[in-house]
Amino acid sequence: MTKPILVVGGGPAGLAAAHSLSALGKKVVLVEKEDKLGGAPILSGYAKLVPSGEWAKDAIGGMVKRVEDSKMIDVRLSTTVSELSGDTGNFTAKLSSGDEVNAAATVMCTGFTHFDSVNKPEWGFGTHQDVVTTTQVEQMISSGKGVRCPSDDRKPKRVAILLCVGSRDRQIGREWCSKICCSVSANIAMEIREELPDCHVYIYYMDIRTFGLLETKYYWKSQEEFKVKYIKARIAEVTSNGEQLIVKGEDTLVKRPITIPFDMVVHAVGMDPNVDNRVLSESFDVDLEPHGFIDRADSYGVVGATSRDGVFVAGSATGPETIDDSIAQGKAAAMSALECIQATK
Amino acid sequence: MSHSHSSRVQKHIGDPISEKPAVDQEFLEEIFNDIQSDFRFDHELNGCLNCGICTATCPAAHYYDFSPREMVQLLWTENLEGIYDAMQEKIWACAQCYTCAARCPFKNSPGGLIMLMRETAIKHGMESAKSVLRPFSRVMLKLISTGNQLAPDMITPDHFPDWGPNISKVDAPLKLLRKAIPMATLNTTATAWEVNLKTSIELYTIWEETGVLDQLETIDENLFDVIVDIMDEKREDLEDWEDEQEDENDE
Repeated sequence: MTKPILVVGGGPAGLAAAHSLSALGKKVVLVEKEDKLGGAPILSGYAKLVPSGEWAKDAIGGMVKRVEDSKMIDVRLSTTVSELSGDTGNFTAKLSSGDEVNAAATVMCTGFTHFDSVNKPEWGFGTHQDVVTTTQVEQMISSGKGVRCPSDDRKPKRVAILLCVGSRDRQIGREWCSKICCSVSANIAMEIREELPDCHVYIYYMDIRTFGLLETKYYWKSQEEFKVKYIKARIAEVTSNGEQLIVKGEDTLVKRPITIPFDMVVHAVGMDPNVDNRVLSESFDVDLEPHGFIDRADSYGVVGATSRDGVFVAGSATGPETIDDSIAQGKAAAMSALECIQATK
Repeated sequence: MSHSHSSRVQKHIGDPISEKPAVDQEFLEEIFNDIQSDFRFDHELNGCLNCGICTATCPAAHYYDFSPREMVQLLWTENLEGIYDAMQEKIWACAQCYTCAARCPFKNSPGGLIMLMRETAIKHGMESAKSVLRPFSRVMLKLISTGNQLAPDMITPDHFPDWGPNISKVDAPLKLLRKAIPMATLNTTATAWEVNLKTSIELYTIWEETGVLDQLETIDENLFDVIVDIMDEKREDLEDWEDEQEDENDE
């Protein structure tokens, strides 16, 4: 009997890793702490994904079904790993359910945590009802309800999207760029303009990082086809005059301070290290890199290697990551796991 | 204290069409080196994303032609003429509230950089520094000679009409409130200018050792003379008092 491979986390990376291994005839134990599979795109109710434009519930839902239908994959929901002992070829994972799993290798796909906007109180989240996050707007769209101001359900006529909320900000110990928020925000801006053609959408940015081919599909398209306005300014504060939100910033290209009313302000929240990473680092005995994500030991030799032999990592557990790249990394880490098992035989 | 360059300072950056620089390049470099060589400089300037949150949050930027982002950019890009030009007026608009420093995503301190530029302007006796500080002679006289400018009981609605309705907040039972301060105080609201002799001398030593007195001499020679007289007098008073103590001990 060959031992299964332990995959931790049922988001895009974990689903991809589990599927690849099972397709190659390997047994997999997939441990997921929440009570359903799919990770952030499903659990947080994302709408249309970047860059495919497919609905999350269809795209990621398909990956979930493929895993659930596989006879080779033993899915353990609402379960965490409390301790991982042993070495390559012979790991023992103690699960929160009390069970033990004997595994040949481990792939960590433990994901990220959305930045909590309450940590930037000057931008009004938690104080003003109509200040929301990109995740909330995704939910408004994916639920079919449409984009509405939470305070009174009205259709907003003016929406401001603030980029880099919880990213590139040394004041709150988050120096990293979260990579996806520029494209996601442009995507949301276009969704809003499509649903509410009378609504003006402004994006306030420090830099626009719609990297690679996303430039055409998001940055340029949102301007050319959807007339989304981009203003180079980091907002100082979001207040309210009792009727509307008041946004204060500097238009750095026109070079004057500006104060503008809005109906809705959207925080483009960044990707934090998973809040459990310190615990995960202990229980899996793997190192974290300086920002708090799981450290990759090797970029070129063994893809997805961590500081511990036989334990691999993929997806946004390693840093801000796109869904597409998380899926690719999940498959790559699965391949690395197979290689290392083969080598110890 | 070097005054050698003061005479070369001209009031304005010159005609951009003229080939002759309005201000000697060497002097521009000296000004910048004075700012940059301060040990605080690297701590207060890490880079700049040009995001404008400093200017957006700056109270002075709403009322004056002043932008902390512009100041940071001038220093970061080592724009020597721009720095010199800004020191002729703009840097004096800053209220030194440091909200910019609390918000900058790069953790720069634009307010701190402004302070370095001001100190340099003072060191070189720039006309802008003199004219800005001129109305504050009385304030400086009290601050430097007593260590403070106001006693709480001097803050009355009559004296500060410009504070608006907020002045009522200081119209409170100050003596009673002062008794609630947990640490030992003199429980006085009126004796701010009556400073202990020894404390005064210690204060003067600080002004001397930190270069504050040199700065004052550069900026306002008359005020400097007045304050030096006060300091000499206090020092004599302390010596007399110490002599008296010795005499009493001898008896």
